[in-house]
Amino acid sequence: MKTEADLLPLSPQAARAVGRLRPARKIGRQIFVFLAPFVLYGLFLLYNGVNPWELYVSMVRSAFGDWFGFGETLIKATPILLTGLAAALPARAGLINVGGEGQLAIGALLATMAAVWLLDAVPAAAGIPLMLFAGALGGALWAGVTALLKVAGRMNETIASLLLNYVAVFLVGYFVHGPLKDPHSFNWPFSPEIARQLRLPVFDGTRLHIGFLLAIAFAVLVWLVLAKTGTGFRIRVLGGNRIAAERAGIRVSLIYAGVLLAAGALAGIAGMIEIAGIEGRLRPTTGATYGYLGFLAAWMAWNHPLRLLLTSFLLGMIAVAGNELEIGSGLPSSSVHMLMALVLFFLMGGARGRKA
Amino acid sequence: MIADILTGALRSGTSVMLASQGELISERAGVINLGTEGCMLAGALGGFATTVWTGNPWLGALAGGLCGMLLSLIHACLVLDRGANQLASGLTLMFFGIGVTAFLGRSFVSEQIVGFNPAPIPVLSDIPVLGEVLFNHDPLTYLSMLLVPALWFVLFRTRIGIILRAAGEREEVLFACGVNPRLVRYAAVLAGGFLAGIGGAQLSVAYTHSWVENMTAGRGVVAVAMVIFAAWRPFRAMLGAYLFGAAQALQLTVQQQGLPISPYFLFMAPYVLTLAALLIVERRKRSSVPEGLSRVFAADADG
Repeated sequence: MKTEADLLPLSPQAARAVGRLRPARKIGRQIFVFLAPFVLYGLFLLYNGVNPWELYVSMVRSAFGDWFGFGETLIKATPILLTGLAAALPARAGLINVGGEGQLAIGALLATMAAVWLLDAVPAAAGIPLMLFAGALGGALWAGVTALLKVAGRMNETIASLLLNYVAVFLVGYFVHGPLKDPHSFNWPFSPEIARQLRLPVFDGTRLHIGFLLAIAFAVLVWLVLAKTGTGFRIRVLGGNRIAAERAGIRVSLIYAGVLLAAGALAGIAGMIEIAGIEGRLRPTTGATYGYLGFLAAWMAWNHPLRLLLTSFLLGMIAVAGNELEIGSGLPSSSVHMLMALVLFFLMGGARGRKA
Repeated sequence: MIADILTGALRSGTSVMLASQGELISERAGVINLGTEGCMLAGALGGFATTVWTGNPWLGALAGGLCGMLLSLIHACLVLDRGANQLASGLTLMFFGIGVTAFLGRSFVSEQIVGFNPAPIPVLSDIPVLGEVLFNHDPLTYLSMLLVPALWFVLFRTRIGIILRAAGEREEVLFACGVNPRLVRYAAVLAGGFLAGIGGAQLSVAYTHSWVENMTAGRGVVAVAMVIFAAWRPFRAMLGAYLFGAAQALQLTVQQQGLPISPYFLFMAPYVLTLAALLIVERRKRSSVPEGLSRVFAADADG
C-alpha cells in the first residue's frame, strides 16, 4: 500500500498549520482552488480540439456582454437557485434533501396538469398564481413522501429522497406518454402547450422571464425566516445540535416535516417556472439535472440563502457555456458537468476540515 | 414463469449486488460512498470500451474495476485527507461520473461486442428449475456468488476483517494497535470502487452487451440503500440486490404476458420496492450501524 501512503501529504498537525497560514498565502490558495478546475478542464478541452481560452472568454462575454446573454444566464440560474434553496433550508435543520430533482419534476407535472386541464381559459392574473400554487403543491407532496418516511419511518432522508427522484421521473414519463400526452404530437412524448396567457411575462430583447425575480424573492424570504424569526432560530438550533433541541422542547419531527415540505414547494415552483417561463409544455426531461445542480450550489454557498444567489449564478454561467460548447464545437453539453464537478471537488479539497 | 423471474433476478441483480458488496466494505470501514453510481458508470464504460478494443471480456471486467477504483480514489482523497462531507463528495462524484461517461462514451453508443455469455455449468444446470435459475449464467455472476461467502469470511473470521470493522467502529483501537485507520479506510473505499466498477462492467459487458448514456439508472444508489437494508451484512445485501433484480425481471415478464399495466409503473417498481425494504428495516432498532458511520449521518448537514 505504498502508493496510498504517498497520497497522504499532510498530518493533522500540518493541516492545522495550513489553517493558520499568513493571509497572503491564504488568498493565494483560494485563487488556486478557484482556477485549478478551469485549468484542468481547459487541458481536457485542448485534448478534444477546443480552444479553452476562447470558451472562457465567450463564457464571460455572453454572461456580461449583452442583455440577451445575461438573461440566458439568469434563466439557467433561476431553477438552480430554487432547488438550491430546497437543499439549503433542510440542511440548516440538519437534513440532507437530495430530492430537488424529483420535487421539481412533480411540481412541473402538477403545474402542467393544472394549466392544461383546469386553467386553459383563466386570465393571467388568476391563472399564473394558481399554476404556481399547483407547482408548489406538487413539489411539497413529493417532499411529503420523504418527510413521512423520515419522521414516521425513521428512514435516512438522503437515500429516500434520492430514490424518489427516479420514481418521479418515471411518473412524469407515465403522464407524458399517457393521460397528459398532446393528441397532436404525432406520438412524441410531451404534453399539450399551456395557454398563451399563462406564460410568464418576458423582458424585452431577451428570453428572460419574471420567474427569476420570484426566485430572488424566495431566497430573501428564506434568509429572513432563517435569520430573523423564532422558527428560523429553532431550525438552526436543531441543525446545530439535535439533542440540545430536543431538551429545549423543540418539536423536532414538526420542524423536519416543515422544512422538507417548504423545500419541496420551492423546488416545485422551480418546475412551474420552467414550464410557464421557458418550455411551455412538459417533456420527460423537463428540468433534468437542475435538482442536483441546486444541491451543489447550496453546498458551495454553505447553505446560506444569499450566498446561494452568487453560486447559482456561477453554475448558471457554466450551464450556458455548455450550450455554447454543444453548438459551437460539437461537444455534448453534459461535458460541462465535468467542469462543475471539478469546481466542487477543488472547493471541497480547499475547504479543509470545515465541518467534515 | 417463477423460474423466469428468479433467473432474471440473478441476471439483472448481479450488478447491484457487486456494487453493494463493495459499498458494504467501504461502509464497514466508516465511509459511505454515494458516488457508487458514478463508479458503476465508469466501470460500465471502461469495461465496455476495453472489451471493444481487446475483444476480451475478462480484460474488460478488470478495466471496469480499475475505472471504478480510480473514481473512488477522488472520494477517498477528499473525504479522508481533506475532511470533506462524505455525502456531498459522493454526490459530486456521482455527477462527475455521469458527465465524464456521457462525454467519453459518445463514440461507443453504437458499438457491438461479444462480451460474456451464459455458460451453463455441466450436470448442475440440468437440475430442473434450480439448474436454470442458479447454474446458467455468465462467469461474472458465478464469481459474484462466490464473492459473498468469501467477503463474509474475511469480514467476520479474519484479522483483516477485524481491522476493517474497527476502522468503522472505533479508530482509537486501531491507533492503539499501531494500525493507521486512514490507510484502512483508503483501502476499503478503493476496494468498494473496484467492486462497483466490476458491477458496472457486468451490466454493460455481460447483461446488456451495449453502452448507453447513464445506463446504470440509479443502480448505484440502490446498492447503497441495499447495504443499509442489509444491516451491513453481505448475505442480506445479496438478497436485497436480487430482490431489486427480481422487480426488474418482473417488468419483462409482465410485458411478455401482455398485461395491461403501464410500463412506467413497472419501471418504478424496483425503486419503490427498495424504499419499502428500507422502511421495514429502519423501523427496527438500529444498533448495527457502524459507529463511525453513524457519526456521518448524525453530523449536521452544514457542509
